[in-house]
Amino acid sequence: MGLNSARYVLREVGSSLRRNIWLSIASVLTIMIAMVILGASLFFFLNAANLAENFESELEINVFTQEDLSNMEVSALGERLKGLDGVQSIELITKEQALAKFAQEYSESLVEDLGGENPFPDSYKVFVTEPELVEGVAKKIDSLTGVDNVVYGKEVIGPLLQFTNWLRWVGMGVVAIFAVASIVLISLNIRMTVYSRRKEIEIMKLVGASNSFIRWPFLLEGMVVGLVGGLFATLIVGMGYDWFAQYIQSTLTFVPVVSESNLIWKVLALLVLIGMGIGALGSIISLRRFLKV
Amino acid sequence: MIQMTNVAKIYPNGARALVDISLKINKGEFVFLVGPSGAGKSTLIRLLYREEMASRGQVIVNGWNILRMREREVPHFRRNIGVIFQDFKLLANKTAFENVAFALEAIGVSPKEVRLRTKKMLKLVGLGHKENAFPDELSGGEQQRVSVARAIINNPSLLVADEPTGNLDADTAWEIMELLYNINRRGTTIVMATHARDIVEQMQKRVIVIEDGRVVRDENMGAIEYGT
Repeated sequence: MGLNSARYVLREVGSSLRRNIWLSIASVLTIMIAMVILGASLFFFLNAANLAENFESELEINVFTQEDLSNMEVSALGERLKGLDGVQSIELITKEQALAKFAQEYSESLVEDLGGENPFPDSYKVFVTEPELVEGVAKKIDSLTGVDNVVYGKEVIGPLLQFTNWLRWVGMGVVAIFAVASIVLISLNIRMTVYSRRKEIEIMKLVGASNSFIRWPFLLEGMVVGLVGGLFATLIVGMGYDWFAQYIQSTLTFVPVVSESNLIWKVLALLVLIGMGIGALGSIISLRRFLKV
Repeated sequence: MIQMTNVAKIYPNGARALVDISLKINKGEFVFLVGPSGAGKSTLIRLLYREEMASRGQVIVNGWNILRMREREVPHFRRNIGVIFQDFKLLANKTAFENVAFALEAIGVSPKEVRLRTKKMLKLVGLGHKENAFPDELSGGEQQRVSVARAIINNPSLLVADEPTGNLDADTAWEIMELLYNINRRGTTIVMATHARDIVEQMQKRVIVIEDGRVVRDENMGAIEYGT
């Protein structure tokens, strides 16, 4: 496309947006609403996934040592635990720590009744890399020497994994449904825009304008509309999520909320890009029908 | 200029708009296409600027074989053909000047040249004083002048017109015919479909009568007689 045409196209985009101001506003609003919906469902998914991961990371294996082990034998066991496949980290809880925790959680008087005796053994908390590995690792630990007892949420793991998987699916489903809704919304709007200008396209073709010349103003217009709509959506979703996260954290303190600003910015930037992309792509697709001779 | 050989046009719904048309129009001719409504005049006109494709036969315009033309060649082909319609087809949100300038901008002419040529062309069709008026501020005759200006600003060698006076009163219609007459005298071939009996009779140009998708008469300097 030549310089003259480029100049014409830019001028045309500006004047067309101005002359069809209500349609432009409607298009911006449509993309904005679609991107707000998409953004909200993306954050829903992120949090659902985050929640699932959080639950899973709570899965731990408690390894109780035999009572007569020396300190050295206990730490040797620790080394062996660390060396097992699938083990991410371990944490030693000495018998003193266990007693103190017990006293704190239940009652001092109960401890005093023990008369200086400490019934707790040294123990390890073992965290695995994947929740699915808990059972296998626990069995292996059980066969190590010096291990008295292995306790893990045997009955809990199955349902928990089911629940967390379900949570992820629901998150993805919500994103998918609203993504489709957004696309429908936007394509309806674009069809309206192109329809309102079909006469212009017809005449452009009549006077011998090439298809690319006809396409460019629509493409740029779609991108501008998408960009503006995406930016508004980003503002709304960003502020809305900020408020929501604070609200949750102050009322439901035990529910983890995704709050890494890096990730949040990525999602918001994605919204602007998708808005622009949909605006441009939508124009091209809707135009195809009209450009056929 | 134009050569049609055994052309037929059958629409997907089975309607046979053109059955068997063969005709030849030379450079510089002024030709009227007449015939009752639904005879196929408009279809024939649309074949000439490749708005529609013939189902059978051969159409050659300006040396281009329309049926063998590639999609991306169509814009270039059209730049050498001007088209005017009964309903003018002006853009309502553009001024008279912009409507005409559009045809030049669409093919990448420089802004300076666009201004110059558009102004000159509007003067030529007698609208130099109304270049900033929007279509709804112009009379029917004036709107048709704008559309004529747009059609011929690229100096096309062929101008096709589909009932260009159909929406105009008798006096205004004659003004447009005078304009077309002058354009033809400068060498542009004109093919015009019309119902206006008085115009055809007075202009004394070649008349092709179409009925039921066939050429039933083709006479030079002929008056028309056809069923209504």
